[in-house]
Amino acid sequence: MTDVSVSRIRNFSIIAHIDHGKSTLADRLLQVTGTVAQRKMKEQFLDSMDLERERGITIKLQAARMDYTAKNGEKYVLNLIDTPGHVDFSYEVSRSLAACEGALLVVDASQGVEAQTLANVYLALENDLEIIPVLNKIDLPGADPDRVIEEIEEVIGLDCTDAIRASAKQGIGVDEILEAIVKEVPPPQDTVEEPLRALIFDSYYDPYRGVIVYFRVMDGCVKQGDRVRLMASKKEYAIDELGILSPGQIPIDTLHAGEVGYFSAAIKAVEDARVGDTITLATEPAETALPGYTEAKPMVFCGLFPTDSEQYEDLRDALEKLKLNDAALSYEPETSTAMGFGFRCGFLGLLHMEIVQERLEREYNLDLITTAPSVIYRVTTTSGETFEFDNPSQLPPPGNREIIEEPYVRIEMITPEEYVGTLMELCQARRGEFKDMKYLTPTRTTLVYELPLAEVVTDFFNQLKSRSRGYASMEYQILGYRENDLVRLDVMVNGDPVDSLATIVHRDKAYPVGRSLTEKLKELIPRHQFKIPLQASIGSRIIASEHIPALRKDVLAKCYGGDISRKKKLLQKQAKGKKRMKSIGTVDVPQEAFMAVLRLES
Amino acid sequence: MFIINYPQAAYLHIPFCRRRCYYCDFAISVVGDNATGETSQSIARYVDAICQEIQQGVKFDAPLQTVFFGGGTPSLLSVGQLERILAVLDACLGIAPQAEISMEVDPGTFTLPQIQGYTQAGVNRFSLGVQSFDDEILQACGRSHRRKDIFQAVDLLRQVGVQNFSLDLISGLPHQTLTQWQNTLQEAIAIAPRHISSYDLVLEPVTAFGKQYQPGEKPLPNDEDTAEMYRLAQQELTRAGFEHYEISNYAQPGFQCRHNRVYWRNEPYYGLGMGAASYFNGQRFGRSRTRREYYDWIEKGCPIISPVSDDTEILLETLMLGLRLATGINLDRMAANFGENTVTQIKSILKSERDRGLVHWDRHSLRLSDPEGFLWSNTILAKLFDQLTST
Repeated sequence: MTDVSVSRIRNFSIIAHIDHGKSTLADRLLQVTGTVAQRKMKEQFLDSMDLERERGITIKLQAARMDYTAKNGEKYVLNLIDTPGHVDFSYEVSRSLAACEGALLVVDASQGVEAQTLANVYLALENDLEIIPVLNKIDLPGADPDRVIEEIEEVIGLDCTDAIRASAKQGIGVDEILEAIVKEVPPPQDTVEEPLRALIFDSYYDPYRGVIVYFRVMDGCVKQGDRVRLMASKKEYAIDELGILSPGQIPIDTLHAGEVGYFSAAIKAVEDARVGDTITLATEPAETALPGYTEAKPMVFCGLFPTDSEQYEDLRDALEKLKLNDAALSYEPETSTAMGFGFRCGFLGLLHMEIVQERLEREYNLDLITTAPSVIYRVTTTSGETFEFDNPSQLPPPGNREIIEEPYVRIEMITPEEYVGTLMELCQARRGEFKDMKYLTPTRTTLVYELPLAEVVTDFFNQLKSRSRGYASMEYQILGYRENDLVRLDVMVNGDPVDSLATIVHRDKAYPVGRSLTEKLKELIPRHQFKIPLQASIGSRIIASEHIPALRKDVLAKCYGGDISRKKKLLQKQAKGKKRMKSIGTVDVPQEAFMAVLRLES
Repeated sequence: MFIINYPQAAYLHIPFCRRRCYYCDFAISVVGDNATGETSQSIARYVDAICQEIQQGVKFDAPLQTVFFGGGTPSLLSVGQLERILAVLDACLGIAPQAEISMEVDPGTFTLPQIQGYTQAGVNRFSLGVQSFDDEILQACGRSHRRKDIFQAVDLLRQVGVQNFSLDLISGLPHQTLTQWQNTLQEAIAIAPRHISSYDLVLEPVTAFGKQYQPGEKPLPNDEDTAEMYRLAQQELTRAGFEHYEISNYAQPGFQCRHNRVYWRNEPYYGLGMGAASYFNGQRFGRSRTRREYYDWIEKGCPIISPVSDDTEILLETLMLGLRLATGINLDRMAANFGENTVTQIKSILKSERDRGLVHWDRHSLRLSDPEGFLWSNTILAKLFDQLTST
């Protein structure tokens, strides 16, 4: 690799909504610049996790260095820094953007701007990035680039005179995009002479080499063998291997200001080299770290329990391994009377939670029961002490608490106007406070509400999608804590309180929630040989009750030669169902029941 | 220990029916109210096919001890067709001199000469699809016969001197009350058959009933009542001298269905015809449930493609089937086949059921109690399945 002058470097990322074609465009850029040979091309090169490829979304970002000879005959180095496309990872997005000078704003020419895109564009603008609008999928019959241009100009206030009309899939507009990157995106500042400061925008754990750190050099130089200090974690390491991403790792001796690369240094967990941390030299450290570093703060919690209690140790090992690679994941042991031993886990948001659960089940072959997600509440006791908790069972009894507060979010939805009514109903039902509504175009609207986070984590997103037939998109940001009249709703099955079913609800909603919760449980818990009372209570006061009538018989009337295989399968299914249930006293409760609170009509 | 490892029982499926009853999900073909074996092309073609299957299928060197014509409505076969099938069976597989040869017949579908012919061809046991004596209920089930057809059918059988016949009854039908069911049982007893099968209605999802009704909800009787109907049948029929020898089957002493006992003892059998399943060489094999595919399969030479059951599967099947019988599981045979440990394990799994009187055992056998153990047989079996496969 030849040394490259700072003025010939262009660092950029791609901002796009899910399905608007970010990965396809990235693939196309790699192909056109000859970075990845045609035959090595897997579809969606940048999304390397199976899960990402399946969902068509990027969870962990990566980077690629491309060599490009522009129309003016000059050679340039283009670094594409990929960003995860989901609200849960907005911190990671902001750090990736901070490593760039420019961004491609990719918008589907038929779909228009979505809430998520908007949020990321604002992040890019905050980071002072040059934004190049690209209208993708212009080859599709429904494409209406003029309308979408108008929308971008209106909503974001971005001049779209030179917006590029492209189809990443067909290869249309790709050359124009490359030229625009060279022309529009400013080169990094030439601060090669200053003390080293490099920004970590991603890191992952490799079982053989330890953590691989992806970074952008902001100032100074870094060399193979340098002893570096991470300014936030305050740890020091000697660099074992330094290199660039092309997109495979290629070792190199030195990297200077403006360049993007990776290093490994026998770092044991990504926690020690977190996104946003600043790398400097141990021998001549920079005075200040780069701005913007924040600790990961889990916002959503749930209990994870192995279906088979013998898998507890396996679950611990799996969480430990995931944690090596995921600084935002937190977990601690939890014991539940209904579920036995498991872990209380904290996540950045709902998608993060789902991803972790799926990886545990898929990659580690665990069979898990998940409790309904909850948030961190803050309670002040009568003795004036304040503490935080996320598990309803930790709420002190009514006599001992003065104030309970819960986190609120500001949620921004973008929706076709015909769904405004139903989405407002949804937000009202979720204790939302209306803040704002604006027409983006005559038919598309943004709707802003402030809602308790607890109401958002319980199935809000699915409701939004189903009420708007998939057309609405949303984005939220945490606002802070607000006091509310909250109570703990306990649930008793056959007279036994079930800790995993307890939830914290607003007093005004306790009755309807209690009623629908017991009704839902009646549907989900199979009939037993005895009658099962189901009750919801606040303290000792029963506010809703139902009962599951006793089963009177369970017998196959007919079983002859032709029926044997089928009847055996039925019994095996019944046996398997039993296996996946948890016993609460003498009652077998299926796993879905522990998520029942999520499925209440709202 | 003696294990029968070659089939000595044959089931032949005759899939034709005049109509499809609203509770039925069997592999059948509807041929209309006027069809007979003589006039129906489809039946003729099918008889050819089943004979072909017998001729080119797997054979073991042991004569059949039992033959069972089930359906469908086997009484839609002409005497000639039945004679031909039996002749091919005898020629290819052999039929033992004292073999039990059963045939399902539906009221209103046969004549005196037909019964004479069937008996002369060798049929020595008939099973009459009565289901109910109540015309309204029969109509509500989509049955093609009525109450009077039942008595006429019984007369025809008796005229030919057939005493060994069975009546099929169904409890838990729409609008049925306990009193009606009691009457049905009394009328059945009054006919004095040698055997009665009494089935609690199974609501199969693909049937008209399954699509229309929810189990335990009106117009179906609730399951408290259907459980009571089950107990009532047990009480009334045993009082009338029938042995309750299987969950849904009752017989006068000496008249249990030998063919069906083969299934419940988990012994091998041939299954012939569309939709029929066979069990031999450790392989359970279900034939296709459509005629076209069944005919294609015969064209290919009747290949049996099916995995061989492993020990666990055989154990589960032995339990599932054996516990249907009043005599239960033979523990000596179970210990010999699956080890003494398995027997110990089964007993320890079922301890609480024994304490509750649902299961009984002694040194040589383990069985469900009648009627309470039978009523909970699935729960008990699911528990066994769960725990025997978890280790």
